[in-house]
Amino acid sequence: MPSVTFDDVSVVYSSQTDTGRGKIAAVRGVSFTLPERGTLGIAGESGSGKSTLAMSVLRLLPRNATVSGRILLDDRNVLELSWGALRTVRWGEASVVFQGAMHSLNPVQRVGKQILEALELHAKNGYATATARQARMLELLGLVDLPGAKAEQYPHQLSGGQRQRVMIAMALACDPELIIADEPTTALDVIVQAQVLEVLANLVRERGLSLLMISHDLSVLGSVCDQIGVMYHGELVEIGPSADIIANPKHPHTQALAAAFPTIGDPASRFLPVSSKGTGAMPIVDTAGSGGTDAPAGAVMLAARQVSVAFHTSSGVLKAVDDVDLECREGEIVALVGQSGSGKTTLVRTLLGLQQPSRGEVLFRGQPLVRTTKGLKAYRRLVQLIPQDPSGALNPKHSVYDSVAEGIRIHRLPGDERERVARALTAAELTPPEEFFRAIPQELSGGQCQRVVIAGALALGPSFLVADEPVASLDASVRGEILALLLRLRRELGLGALIITHDLGLAWNIADRVMVMHEGRIVESGAVEDVLLNPQHAYTRRLLEAVPSTAGNARKTPGEARLSPPGWG
Amino acid sequence: MSSIKPSESAAETVVKEDSEVRPSNSFWSYLGRKTGGASISLIMVVLLGFFAFRVLPGDPVTSLTKGKQVTATQLANLREIYGLDEPLWTQFGLYLSNLVTGNLGTSYTFRAPVATLIAEHLYPTLLLTSVAAALSISLGLWVGQRSIAKRGGWFDRASTAVALTLWSVPTFWLGLLLLMLLGGGLQLFPVGGMVTAGANYTGLAYVWDVTRHLALPVTTMVAVTYAQYMLVLRASLIDEMSADYLVTARAKGLRDDLVRRRHAVPNALLPTVTLVFMHIGGLIGGAVTVETVFSWPGLGYLTFQALTGPDLPLLQGTFVVFSVIVIIMNLAADLIYRALDPRVRLS
Repeated sequence: MPSVTFDDVSVVYSSQTDTGRGKIAAVRGVSFTLPERGTLGIAGESGSGKSTLAMSVLRLLPRNATVSGRILLDDRNVLELSWGALRTVRWGEASVVFQGAMHSLNPVQRVGKQILEALELHAKNGYATATARQARMLELLGLVDLPGAKAEQYPHQLSGGQRQRVMIAMALACDPELIIADEPTTALDVIVQAQVLEVLANLVRERGLSLLMISHDLSVLGSVCDQIGVMYHGELVEIGPSADIIANPKHPHTQALAAAFPTIGDPASRFLPVSSKGTGAMPIVDTAGSGGTDAPAGAVMLAARQVSVAFHTSSGVLKAVDDVDLECREGEIVALVGQSGSGKTTLVRTLLGLQQPSRGEVLFRGQPLVRTTKGLKAYRRLVQLIPQDPSGALNPKHSVYDSVAEGIRIHRLPGDERERVARALTAAELTPPEEFFRAIPQELSGGQCQRVVIAGALALGPSFLVADEPVASLDASVRGEILALLLRLRRELGLGALIITHDLGLAWNIADRVMVMHEGRIVESGAVEDVLLNPQHAYTRRLLEAVPSTAGNARKTPGEARLSPPGWG
Repeated sequence: MSSIKPSESAAETVVKEDSEVRPSNSFWSYLGRKTGGASISLIMVVLLGFFAFRVLPGDPVTSLTKGKQVTATQLANLREIYGLDEPLWTQFGLYLSNLVTGNLGTSYTFRAPVATLIAEHLYPTLLLTSVAAALSISLGLWVGQRSIAKRGGWFDRASTAVALTLWSVPTFWLGLLLLMLLGGGLQLFPVGGMVTAGANYTGLAYVWDVTRHLALPVTTMVAVTYAQYMLVLRASLIDEMSADYLVTARAKGLRDDLVRRRHAVPNALLPTVTLVFMHIGGLIGGAVTVETVFSWPGLGYLTFQALTGPDLPLLQGTFVVFSVIVIIMNLAADLIYRALDPRVRLS
């Protein structure tokens, strides 16, 4: 059984640009030890160096990376192994569960064959014959609760969760002693995430494996790992037992990470999303108005009456949205929560007039949508969409000014264009706006891109916002800032919003009301406090159950109560 | 807690539904759709084949009788024989009904049925283009995947430079250069035709003779076409080399060349295959130039002769045959792509 020791490890990427050689230190002087059978989580935002650190264990970094220091598997320095010896260590002793199994499996090879390949390369432990390997492959699929028939399928035929299970099966193939999991559940639904984490955690525990797990989500790490280390700008800023890190984070960055995944039911995080600038740095709502339930009940802005959307596919009729009624009032923030495939995106497309409902109607200010080109154009000015991935939503060739001004030009809004753009950027907290006019999306951070998108929506003077997973692709520290911005827009401009999300914590953070969607129907809706603290529908309870938290871990495995932090929740 | 257990399996079924294979996407319905598309292209080609050549300048009867003393009556007589005095729509109707029976008309210049002429010239063209295509594809793909083994190494840089140079060279110029140097000057290869005139070789001697005649035209065609295959494969390999599943393959302990050959190349081949088959049409088009330079007795040379006429029935005939070949090749590309890419096959 190997232990992993990092001894003053640094990784430098050298890049050649037009201006000469650049050197970027991705990891700086990291030291820690993962004991045998230990489980260690590394947390951090994108760019913190956590993935680089994980990949350096098997020397999987790109060629322009230089690693210094010592990385010991037991007592062998990985950095000094010959290529042949290294290839034996790879997968034989340590294997990797990669991020986003969509891209980590070869798209043109059957998944069974990809598992077999690992067995063929490291033909040990009696998997010398083809039949033995075939049997082992099926056994592996069984371990991760997949039927053997899945071996004959290609990656694109499997769902995200199934692909990640295949990845785990593949990682276990050659009985490794160490598993490195790099964001194993990112991009998975909360329920699927819980299932995958459970499979991984159980296998690691039963087989006494060592686990090094990377994630941006402290609660995911907390539910699986004994220890958590936090990386920030390439340095390991904090390391300790999971419970301590989550309950009493010392480093400000750890505090921001912890706050990004609020505890549902914790009044401190209600209407108070936290940014990396520190807890309470931005008082969002004055205490008098912070009561969520007595939110301003304005006139009904957007409503759906018995809306159904059915798609005719070759395999029959698929009811994506089934008899949905909803109302969003002026100045109200409503969260629409559901798994992928629940029909929430179709519902939103219908509300925006992008999809014709097969039954029922969409009302705006009490009037049915005018489905002419002109009517829809006017409607879409008033109800603005904030899409999920800001870097994808902005044209990479357009400057910030052009991106924001485009809508103004399309709708031929009166007044000075420059002034309107500047006002919109200021409202989206990009100040001073003139400094951003000429920037292109590539030069902006993810959070700034999302602000540009929001500015583009605000420039048209909308009366309602529809946001599709507005913070799902953003880092933890930026998440709070964007949510705070949405709250400020509501307070200052009276802008209501319908927010589509799979993240119940987000609903707890900023929404007045929450609607839970499942298989095309809205199964439960009501004030956030009522629904999330006292769920009535079984599906809502299951969603809440799946939210990873240290408390949840303690509930599932009572034997590990030590992970439950004192006074939590 | 207990109320949650039964619904656990419900989530599983939701997940499984996503991955259900749609049964209707069978091979036959795919083939049907693609063949339908190809048939529509074919009909358009037939229509275009007739009208496009009617727009060509030059009166066929005048050019037929060039240099001869003919009276106006004789000209009118000729027009009647070839049906050129009829209104355009009657000519078109005749063209269609003849096409159905396989009658492509009679060549003005050769005074022989077009169908027979095309049949005679088809084999040399197929021989030339298939040999050239096979060599060009193999060379392009081999050099392409070899060059990426060490990106920026001497082989990569040299092969890219050579490929780009040859790609930029005009076909006729390279052909004439080879013809003059290796054919005329050094007399290593025959300068034209497919067989040595007068020598009635049989068996192996015939094969050897044809091979010697093939050498220069094939070299010309390969030189100007292989670069595309090489560069496209190289570019898509460079894209694929940064793909996540290659890190998985490396992490499994595969040697670098196996990572490339087993995982990167099958994926990088996908865009290349599409290009290869799309380009076979261009290859046949290029055959017109090469065959003319080397007097190769194929369809390209025949087209060249028909153009100088203009010999309308012959032009129509070669145009339709060339188009049919291209359409069939595109159909083949679709089918091969489907075989190579499970996402097209099953999604």
